[in-house]
Amino acid sequence: MEKFTKAFPSKPLKTTAGKPWALAGVVGSGNLEVLVERGGRPSDAMECHIETSIPGYKASWLAALADFAHHYPAGGTKVTINDQGAPPVLVTLRLRQAYDHLVKGSK
Amino acid sequence: MTRGPLFHEQTARQRIAAVVDRGSFDELLPPPERLTSPYLAQLGIPVSFDDGVVIGRARIGGKKVYLAAQVGQFVGGAVGEIHGAKLTGLFKAAARDRVPCVLIVESGGVRLHEGSAGEIAIAETMRAIFECRALKVPTIAVIGTDIGAYGGIGILSTCCDFRVMTEHGRLGISGPIVIEKWMGKKAYDSSNRALVWKTSGGKTKYLLGDAEALVHDDAGAVREAIGKLLAKSSPVTLKNVKARQKDLEKRLKRFGKTGDPDDVWKGMGVRDVARASLASGPEFAAMAKAGRR
Repeated sequence: MEKFTKAFPSKPLKTTAGKPWALAGVVGSGNLEVLVERGGRPSDAMECHIETSIPGYKASWLAALADFAHHYPAGGTKVTINDQGAPPVLVTLRLRQAYDHLVKGSK
Repeated sequence: MTRGPLFHEQTARQRIAAVVDRGSFDELLPPPERLTSPYLAQLGIPVSFDDGVVIGRARIGGKKVYLAAQVGQFVGGAVGEIHGAKLTGLFKAAARDRVPCVLIVESGGVRLHEGSAGEIAIAETMRAIFECRALKVPTIAVIGTDIGAYGGIGILSTCCDFRVMTEHGRLGISGPIVIEKWMGKKAYDSSNRALVWKTSGGKTKYLLGDAEALVHDDAGAVREAIGKLLAKSSPVTLKNVKARQKDLEKRLKRFGKTGDPDDVWKGMGVRDVARASLASGPEFAAMAKAGRR
């Protein structure tokens, strides 16, 4: 298991509508679950907590998360991830799904 | 005929959303509460925010229900301490509030990584189910996924008043691979899907009276079947238990020696096994009813 926490600069979340939290994915082999919550501080950073069963890929994680924080206004959110060996593309996909659910309130 | 997504392909949260009245689901202990397994991290296994089960309150056809759906993709939907405690609490709440309780099953039973805690949790949930039944509060297990209901959850499902199954659902105690490991491939070939589904699948369980409804692999059909059972209950009386015991003895006598599941189907009144194999759930149910006459 490897655990790390980091905040990435990101533009503040635009809408206050939608849901207080959103979940995407599931903890299964080669998959992960992403929980995005509102109310993280400060409002110009995306706070990330990662827990993964595959150690040694911190650099890839930080790159994927920094990229997401750069492209989406996710400031003021708290992202918590439980990972069981998901590839980087899936990490990005789940982040986008959870983010979409959060801002649009869709299932 | 166009259909929505197949029930067995949906996730636990999608199943709940599709089965209950639109937007009526109120999740208890949702993911932000982070009620996760205290054991898995020590074994290098990642935890899940809901520990593999989604529980909450909702309405079905305007009627209040308590509802749980297991997440099969997370360690096979297996029951650990937290998962089990959530189920126990839900059925206890159902008994306290006299509100029907529905469990959408997708589990291989106890989570072996937290063995004793899981076993105890399942036993406590069974006790809570019987509390419901003593109060005539309906309890319904929905079994409609490939993982199905095995081990402790198989037993727990049969403790409920009613079982709603789809053709995809499987119900049993020992899973096919476990049986093969103990009895040998000759006795039971777990890679023979026809054999596995003919011994533990929804059609056979319906035929034997272990499931009360056999419906399409579709959330709408499941919802309809639940709706019909919400006002009913199946009381646990000495008379009923004795009658059931007699049924099971008869079943063992008739089919205990057979090596071919088709014999069971024929014995239960299925006239055309090939046609019945290809029939949809409701078609099969109609054929089974005709055969009983």
